[in-house]
Amino acid sequence: MEMDKNKNRPVYLNLFQIRLPVGGVMSILHRITGAVLVLLLPFAIYMLQRSLQDPERFADIVVQLGTPIGRSILLAVVWVFAQHFFSGVRHLLQDVGIGLEITAARRGAWLTFIGSGLVVVVAGACL
Amino acid sequence: MRRIRSTGSAHAGLMEWLLQRTSSLYMGGFVIFTVFHFLVSPKPDYAAWSGWFTDGVVRLAWALFILSVLVHAWIGLRSIYMDYLHPLWLRFSVSLLTAFGLLALGLWSAEILLMIKP
Repeated sequence: MEMDKNKNRPVYLNLFQIRLPVGGVMSILHRITGAVLVLLLPFAIYMLQRSLQDPERFADIVVQLGTPIGRSILLAVVWVFAQHFFSGVRHLLQDVGIGLEITAARRGAWLTFIGSGLVVVVAGACL
Repeated sequence: MRRIRSTGSAHAGLMEWLLQRTSSLYMGGFVIFTVFHFLVSPKPDYAAWSGWFTDGVVRLAWALFILSVLVHAWIGLRSIYMDYLHPLWLRFSVSLLTAFGLLALGLWSAEILLMIKP
């Protein structure tokens, strides 16, 4: 009954004007990166299969990943994985009661961005 | 309240919650181990890569990893679908496609791992 009265309440859902706190940005990124990783699965399994078939196909993959486009895609995938990995670690830590307090939670969210950025830099230097 | 709706069992979803956490722990450990394994290996070439898979323990670890990925992906996508796909027919069809897709990926991976000659 109370709810019926408010049927005409204003709804403001302009996604471009809502400013999410850092934890919210990390949270939606966790979902997006997770979904992207699932979409990448068929390609990953295909590459696993090719890489194990024979030395020529293995060498072909190495060459493909060495081209500027291949390298960019590889580093983008590394970032997607690292971001999902670190925000997942933050989830697990919060499950056991670590980093629940607001400032710690915000710091944790920033740390996931720094962590994934560092992984991309290190991967870019090593690969 | 005009209609009383069942809120379900108090522990519904607990299994999914737990599977999401345990699979993430296994995957995290596996990925860290694999990265370090190839960081310390002298030459990450075809011989080293394919030779690694001749070890039965490694193939078993990979099988468990892929199973964890599929379970984790299923529960994660399920949460996304429950939040954003509201019409029942849509959520049902997309879930069905997802289930068959993940199952196919699992069988494909099993084929790859079983084709390796030890």
